[in-house]
Amino acid sequence: MTGAEHPFGAARMQPFGRRVRVRNGWMVGVWLLLGALLLWYSTLIPVFGPFQITSISKNSLPLVYLAIGQAIIVIAGGIDLSLGALLLLSNVIAARFMDGQPVGVVVVIAIALIAALALLNALTGYVITLSGVPDIVVTLATSYIWSGLALWILPSPGGGTAPEMRWLFTGSTSGIGGSSWPPILMMLIPCAVIAIWARRTRQGLTLYAVGSNKTAARLSGLDVRRAKIVSYAIGGGMAALAGLATVAITGTGDPRFSVGTNATLNSVAAVVLGGIALTGGIGNPFGVVATAVILVMLNPILIAMGVNSNNAQVIQGVLIAGVMMVGGLVALLRERAS
Amino acid sequence: MTAPAPLLSTVGVAKSYGPVVALRSADMSVRRGEIHALLGANGAGKSTLVKILAGVQTADAGEVNVDGRPVHFRTPADAITAGIATVFQDPALIPDLTVAQNLRLSRVDVSTLRQWLAWFDLDRLDLNALVRELPLDTLRLVDLARAAARDPHVLLLDEITAALSADQSERVFELLRRRKAEGKSAVLITHRLAEIMRICDQATILRDGRNAERPFGMAELTISNVNEHQLVEAMLGASLEPPTEQSPEVSGRGHALGDAALEVQELTSRLIVQNVSFSVRVGEIVGLVALEGQGQDRLFDLLSGRRKPTAGALLVNGRPARFNSPYDAVRQGVVLVPGDRLVALLPNQSVRHNLALPLFGRLQRWARIPATARPRVDDAIDQLAIDTRAASQVRRLSGGNQQKVVIGRWLVGGFRTLLCFDPTRGIDIQTKRDIYALLRKLASEGAAILLYTSELAEIPLVCDRVLVMHAGRIVDEQDAARATESSLLTAAHGLEMEAAT
Repeated sequence: MTGAEHPFGAARMQPFGRRVRVRNGWMVGVWLLLGALLLWYSTLIPVFGPFQITSISKNSLPLVYLAIGQAIIVIAGGIDLSLGALLLLSNVIAARFMDGQPVGVVVVIAIALIAALALLNALTGYVITLSGVPDIVVTLATSYIWSGLALWILPSPGGGTAPEMRWLFTGSTSGIGGSSWPPILMMLIPCAVIAIWARRTRQGLTLYAVGSNKTAARLSGLDVRRAKIVSYAIGGGMAALAGLATVAITGTGDPRFSVGTNATLNSVAAVVLGGIALTGGIGNPFGVVATAVILVMLNPILIAMGVNSNNAQVIQGVLIAGVMMVGGLVALLRERAS
Repeated sequence: MTAPAPLLSTVGVAKSYGPVVALRSADMSVRRGEIHALLGANGAGKSTLVKILAGVQTADAGEVNVDGRPVHFRTPADAITAGIATVFQDPALIPDLTVAQNLRLSRVDVSTLRQWLAWFDLDRLDLNALVRELPLDTLRLVDLARAAARDPHVLLLDEITAALSADQSERVFELLRRRKAEGKSAVLITHRLAEIMRICDQATILRDGRNAERPFGMAELTISNVNEHQLVEAMLGASLEPPTEQSPEVSGRGHALGDAALEVQELTSRLIVQNVSFSVRVGEIVGLVALEGQGQDRLFDLLSGRRKPTAGALLVNGRPARFNSPYDAVRQGVVLVPGDRLVALLPNQSVRHNLALPLFGRLQRWARIPATARPRVDDAIDQLAIDTRAASQVRRLSGGNQQKVVIGRWLVGGFRTLLCFDPTRGIDIQTKRDIYALLRKLASEGAAILLYTSELAEIPLVCDRVLVMHAGRIVDEQDAARATESSLLTAAHGLEMEAAT
């Protein structure tokens, strides 16, 4: 009896198109959902034009970056509760040291900041692999450290950045109005690079392998510890980028930005909605871009609908739970059908 | 005379897990171009030695030499680099990645790999299928092909044939012979003595973490100089008679049977199980035989309430029953011993906790196990002779002891019909016999037992009657006492017997 003759269970060739649809169904679904929401939003408000598009895309940037970083960490089997605090740290460092500097210095600071926070969070990953303490505990602890550091670096709101920096993330040197292309490209390019890296390179696949089954990955001769450290480094780098985006959008630094504290949990919500399993190893980071934008858009949509902003939170929560249940139902029906 | 250094040797390797000594001192020596058997009862230390050689664990003491040079493996990657490739019982493939992505991660030469895949008739395997969508036998062969493509000095195979069909196993042996001709070696861990007699050159036998005494005090254990019984003796350390009509696992057969405890009528689950009808009577052990993937997994899912049938009826003690979940099945006295022990156990909990699990539904105030039930837990431990040295965490028990805990759980919980799915896979002979004897005892005390097994030799030994499943249907029924491996295999392939028997 050979594998090819198995009446059941043996791998049958599936049509390529069907497989792509099934495997990436969730990602396509959330992008369609985002499209539908945009269309709906455009009918809700009196004027919908380039200004709104710029506004949505630039305001989504911090959460998109953070969610992509979180996605990579979750795929590799971890979770990082310190990303929001790292965002704040990046925000205050950028605001304090970029203020009044020429564009060349600002660019150097930006690049150095991304590298430094990547290294810092890689250290967190290293501590986790070394100590065996669960990710959630270690990153909860580091989140306090990073927010404390942020307060120490910039005790009260202030600082600023170069106009060129603001243009890069918002499409205008003043942070108001402007072209929608810079923020859209700044959203898509880093995310595409990371998503493709994760799916198409050996190191990227190693993250999936480690998140999916750590033991099997180790037995296959993969370096499990390095994978974890790499994933945390990417998370740190993306948090730094998110901090830069907040400086560019708001024009100042603030160690008490509410965006920082909410951002951690929002990034987890975006990851879950984006079809990435919290148990690790499954999902495409590109879907997370759409869900992060959706989460940012929900508030203005609900306000446009005339929903009281207190009730808006409840509706937001119900929507997240609802989407996840529909997803679970689809998976269940698909399994039943097989 | 100076013999060339052995390709792989261990001297005095030892390993303890906390208070449990898994390996006291193991010596093994594998020459170039040799197929070496590593034998021993459960808990003798085989798995530990394999883990050390594969770089999964580091030894506490002793040395490992490859090609005459001492090596210290800290990770599995080190072992692979040193030329030792291991195929574990659970394929080391990532479930959520495709086969192609898995192979890409392991840095093996793709054209060599394709050759070996073709060797196992897997050249038409869809490499873009996710690993978790593929059946276990295919995965083991992919894992083996990957190990072979690394062209290692030594191939370590842990129970490789456990999930394979006879001719897949044949291909594996042919691969080993080919490598042998090229001067490459292999270490085979298996409980199937017939395979060892056929293919292995030398053997190392472990007992209680040490090398067992060799028969006749031989300097090395050459397979061609011994027979199966001598191997078994060396493993067990005591002379063990082949089972006779008087031995416990067989005695008690032929007693009067009661009414049907479980009756199945035209049970169907899509195309996987089709119109299956049979009954298991009180006091009866019914065997089920099938090649891999003939729907036996699904049948057990249906009987144990894990899935609902698309058509057909179940009768428990003569009354129609519908199981919405295993909860319903257990309440009606139909319990399952699943094929994968780890599915059934709480790995980090104690033996007692695991045994008492079925009682948790009837806990009293303050979550105490009812006083009347507590002696039943102790009884189960005694009756099954569970080795409780590592009782605080079930995952540290040997495979055979874990299986005993799974069965013992239902002794504590109580049942009428026991469904056993391949309970003796990867278990040593002594524990197997314990389990056979236990099943017979349970049957004579009024249980009805359905036993699926992948080891055909078990059938005449344990069962009263045997059903043969092929392509989702029951195709044959034989009297177990008169069934032979060949009559069962013929039926399992869906063939008629040539001569009427």
